[in-house]
Amino acid sequence: MEPDVSFETGSMIRIAVLPVGGSIPHARLRSYVEMLGRHTRIDLSSISSFYSEHQKSPFTHQPWETGSLRFKFMLGGAPPSAWEDFQSCRKILAVIGLCHCPASPDLDLVADQFATASKAYTSALAKRCFAFFPTDSQLEEGDNKRENILLFPPSDQKTQEFHMLTMMQDLAASLLMEFEKWVLRAESAGTILKTPLDSQSSLGSEEFIKAKKRRLARAQKTIGDYCMLAGSPIDANAHYSTAIELARLTGDIFWHAGAMEGSVCALLVDRMDHKDPLLEEEVKYRYYNVIQLYRRSYLQDNAQRVSTVSFELEAALKLARYLCRRELAKEVVDLLMSAADGAKSLIDASDRLILYVEIARLFGTLGYQRKAAFFSRQVAQLYLQQDNACAAMSAMQVLTMTSNAYHVQSRRNSQKMCPSSQDLGASHGDGGKMHPLSIVSLFESQWSTIQMVVLREILMSSVRAGDPLAAWSAAARLLRSFYPLITPAGQSGLASSLANSAERLPSGTRCADPALPFIRLHSFPLHPSQTDIIKRNPQKKEWWTGSAPSGPFIYTPFSKGNISDCNKQELTWIVGEPVQVLVELANPCSFDLMVESIYLSVHSGNFDAFPVSVSLPPNTSKVILLSGIPTKVGAVSIPGCIVHCFGVITEHLFRDVDNLLLGASQGLVLSDPFRCCGSTKPKNMSAPNISVVPPLPLLVSHVVGGNGSTILYEGEIRDIWTSLTNAGTVPIEQAHIALSGKNQDSVISIAHDVLLSSLPLKPGGEVTIPVTVKAWQLSLTDSEFDASKSSSGSARRISKEGSSPLLVIYYAGPWTSPDESNGSGNSVPPGRRLVVPLNVCVLQGLRFVRARLLSMEFPARVSEALPKQIYGENGITEELKSVNQNDSLVKIDPYRGSWGLRLLELELSNPTDVVFEVNVSMQLDSQQSEHGVANFSNEDIDFGYRKTRIDRDYSARVLIPMEHFKLPVLDASFFSKDAQVNNLLGNKFSSTAERNAKAELNASINNLISKIKVRWHSGRNSSGELNIKDATQAALQASIMDILLPDPLTFGFRLGENGTASENIVSPEESSISDNPPGQPGSRNVARAKGSVLAHEMTRMEVIIRNNTKERIKMSLNVSCRDVAGENCIEGNKATVLWAGTLSDISLEAPPLQDITHSFALYFLVPGDYTLLAAAVINDATDVLRARAKSDSSDEPIFCRGSPFHVHVVGTA
Amino acid sequence: MANTACFIIVSRNDIPIYEAEVGSAMKKEEAAQQHQFILHAALDIVEDLAWTTSAMFLKAVDKFNDLVVSVYVTAGHTRFMLLHDSRNEDGIKSFFQEVQELYIKILLNPLYLPGSRITSSHFDTKVRALARKYL
Repeated sequence: MEPDVSFETGSMIRIAVLPVGGSIPHARLRSYVEMLGRHTRIDLSSISSFYSEHQKSPFTHQPWETGSLRFKFMLGGAPPSAWEDFQSCRKILAVIGLCHCPASPDLDLVADQFATASKAYTSALAKRCFAFFPTDSQLEEGDNKRENILLFPPSDQKTQEFHMLTMMQDLAASLLMEFEKWVLRAESAGTILKTPLDSQSSLGSEEFIKAKKRRLARAQKTIGDYCMLAGSPIDANAHYSTAIELARLTGDIFWHAGAMEGSVCALLVDRMDHKDPLLEEEVKYRYYNVIQLYRRSYLQDNAQRVSTVSFELEAALKLARYLCRRELAKEVVDLLMSAADGAKSLIDASDRLILYVEIARLFGTLGYQRKAAFFSRQVAQLYLQQDNACAAMSAMQVLTMTSNAYHVQSRRNSQKMCPSSQDLGASHGDGGKMHPLSIVSLFESQWSTIQMVVLREILMSSVRAGDPLAAWSAAARLLRSFYPLITPAGQSGLASSLANSAERLPSGTRCADPALPFIRLHSFPLHPSQTDIIKRNPQKKEWWTGSAPSGPFIYTPFSKGNISDCNKQELTWIVGEPVQVLVELANPCSFDLMVESIYLSVHSGNFDAFPVSVSLPPNTSKVILLSGIPTKVGAVSIPGCIVHCFGVITEHLFRDVDNLLLGASQGLVLSDPFRCCGSTKPKNMSAPNISVVPPLPLLVSHVVGGNGSTILYEGEIRDIWTSLTNAGTVPIEQAHIALSGKNQDSVISIAHDVLLSSLPLKPGGEVTIPVTVKAWQLSLTDSEFDASKSSSGSARRISKEGSSPLLVIYYAGPWTSPDESNGSGNSVPPGRRLVVPLNVCVLQGLRFVRARLLSMEFPARVSEALPKQIYGENGITEELKSVNQNDSLVKIDPYRGSWGLRLLELELSNPTDVVFEVNVSMQLDSQQSEHGVANFSNEDIDFGYRKTRIDRDYSARVLIPMEHFKLPVLDASFFSKDAQVNNLLGNKFSSTAERNAKAELNASINNLISKIKVRWHSGRNSSGELNIKDATQAALQASIMDILLPDPLTFGFRLGENGTASENIVSPEESSISDNPPGQPGSRNVARAKGSVLAHEMTRMEVIIRNNTKERIKMSLNVSCRDVAGENCIEGNKATVLWAGTLSDISLEAPPLQDITHSFALYFLVPGDYTLLAAAVINDATDVLRARAKSDSSDEPIFCRGSPFHVHVVGTA
Repeated sequence: MANTACFIIVSRNDIPIYEAEVGSAMKKEEAAQQHQFILHAALDIVEDLAWTTSAMFLKAVDKFNDLVVSVYVTAGHTRFMLLHDSRNEDGIKSFFQEVQELYIKILLNPLYLPGSRITSSHFDTKVRALARKYL
């Protein structure tokens, strides 16, 4: 059988093309043959100039205007066929030699070689040898000597082509003339024409006669063949008709069929241009006859030796090729199927090969890709039966062609061919969800069994053919797509064939088909510096606000909600700053997979990826971190990874794996490689839009003195120095520090000005910022027990991690980046945010156990001066000062006495292992200093208390006098708020007033408490403040009124001026002045014992009543005197004291905020200790007074009692 | 019962969703592969033929050597393909019709995604029983 048969085969002149002389370079030979190959059709009109009619031409109907000669070049020649006589077109009718002159200097030798080579072709009617690029010397000698060597003078391509055309026309003309000669000779003399069918052995007389009869028919058929070759179908038809008639008569079936075939050929060549159904019917009818005749000529007896089946099949193929159109598919299929059936009766394997090739081609032309693939695979199997590399290579190529139909094609080919599937995949990535049916369509034609077989055959053939890359690719596809169907042994075998193939490949070979592992995108972990990119708002001064969610919430309802945007993550990468991507690798196979290197594949060319090497044990998956550095501004898309595994570099696309996983989830694909490796359910990870922006400044922080956390005791105050360095390449021009996180109030101060003064911070510049932190109080939820300390008994508490406050530093570079073009000028480079945790570890420090309010009272002594009024308007500072100056140890002057003195007792314990010293100080109101002495400003007052030292594991109590907080005035304004606290009045206040009042009260308590500061020191540099607010508040809450509010009336006694009964109202100020400086006129009392009264002497005394309210108070005053036993010694039977003046029911009226004095005189009969007491009943008490007295009913008398005064009476009884 | 028979259901997307070797001959892997190749190749012819007739049973549409491919196309363009060497056309037709009833039951399962693989063992057992009965 012959390949590529068609109706036109009969009109083609076969020309053997032989390379002669020295070996021709491959490219040269190819170009020569290509030049030759353009001339397969030479028009008769063009050869008329070369044609000379020697005799009358036998081709009477030669179409000189429209006809043509056809050439078929047989490169390398062809062996002579046994059927040459039967079909003249099988003869080699001309020989062309190709010679490359530079490779063969001796033209004589070339001529000899050509002569020898062409001698084998006895049927050749013309011989030419074309010599290209002759040297000058060859040109000289070649011209005159050899006719059969045609030298092509060296010139440009065009000229050579023209030369070649001329030569071919000349060849065509000479062939035509030879044909004429041959036909003329055949008509006259007659030739013996034989086929292998004619038995030579039994050539009896009968046979001989028969043969003689048949000779004429055969001659006519052959002449017809030559007419066809000469391009004269009408002549040919005439001869064929004669031959058909004769052959039918002589019963020469085989030649009958041949002549009939020729006649159809002639008919078709004649009517080449117009195809009409009638013609088609005619052709079909005749051809089925031809096939029938060939079938009949099949002789059983010589079937072993020769068979006419191949002619029958060729005829069928010719007809199929003629009919090969979509509309006639059924007919063609029938023809081809019956032809395929005929393959069984073909003896020669190569015939079968050709048959299958032709069938596959015809099915392919028909559009039956799967049928074509099936027969191609049959071809490949036939090739594989031949045991040589060439056949294996052919098998491999044929199988590669089928791979499309079986959907196992290499990615290299498929990328160009099916963009639609890529679109499909991309749209999936965008939408996230897909209709199930469209998922199904992704996995069209998954015939796993046959796909595996085809791939295995490709692998086998490419190994045999010695094509390591094809073998690698096939093994990779097989392993990747069908690992669940392959046994562990088979998987290892494939792995080793991958490795073997890679050994033969040069290192760095790339392959379009990925093998293992499976790679999917896991996530884009945000580098800390990436989270901190903040859009700048050029309109605002505070550019960082509103651009990013600043609170603790990831989602803010105020951010612009655009649902379609939510799916697509936006990432910003910065030129020159490394980024990271997490990918998950899976090795579902049963061998150890060594990935030599894997890195991100980026096609946009603005990204440097860093390779890493991974080893994956059998059936495992691993999440690995891939990193890289963006190098240029623009968009970056990461379609996959470049993997260097099994010695070959491949690109693994995430999209493929995504599709695979999608299919697996729908049960369309065999297995999910990640799930079978024990990996968790795939996250729906869509590739984000990544854009690369120009370099930004980058602040790096470290804490001076080590990055470990600073250990502080509760309440300790310490400066933490944070050093900030600009590690970027752009200066920082704007910066701002804010606070966030827990325990923000523990940060007392931040040195904003230090940062601002260092701007712009050049690249590499550094600035150190102090932050003052006061360690916060540990709460139960906030702390954890330090296990290391548990050995020493009680576990101590330390603060949990993450409870430290955070410094948030917003910073940005210049408004316009230096290399930015003007076109995109309005985009402002973003700013950044640096979050510096103030790493503070708070230890439980001095522990506050409880606070108690203690009250004390002991009476004052009557002296010339009024005792210091504890609620004095202006005396406090003086008092404090004097205490400070004189004797800091004595807190209370026993001569002065103190009534209603309240002390705050703080109980502190020290559970730590260091010693604490506690120091109490008070801060006074500015209001007080206004009234006070001018030189005393609002600052902490050290009471001169000794520092209290508390050893480890000990407790101590600290007393704080509360007397300095009394308000000077009893005021109605206070009561409106005080009432509810005590809730005794039961008055209904409006809720707003109530709330306001409560707030005011709390404020005043807070105010009070904040004045008290308990500082502690420990060691050399630990110091802090104890947080006692809550406890103090609790302790003071109940009796706040008593502490803050003065009594409406206060009473004081003093000795009257000696001899002078001054009724004048002595202002407290005067008295205090006269009291304090020793050198003042008041010092005459000094001689006398301080405050002592002599018995048996009239002692003038004054009672001073002060009205602390803003209203005038009317009262009736009573003064009583008691002895030690508490008996009234003024009235009664045993009165030991005589008196002058009124002592009881004295009606007095005190103006607001003023003192009134009432004088009287006492005469003590008995020395000893007496107590003077003043009391008053207030008439017409106001609500304020009632409230202060906590009285319920309005008609109850308000009774006011002063503090007792001691009188020490000396003398003899 | 037929010597060789390979039954396959091909979904409208050309994916084989069910495969069964139902012949009585010794099962060889290579033969099974060859059967699939033949059936796969026959799809081209079925594609054309299915639209030329209103009948669901397309009879023998293709052959290779002595193996014949008979095809039954459902309304949803799912193709039942049987590769066989017997000539019992009536039996094959009955086989196909009964298999279609089974297939419809599979389709009615709300958890079955049309076009995906049929993994029901019940279906498999029933089909094999039908093959024994009719082929």
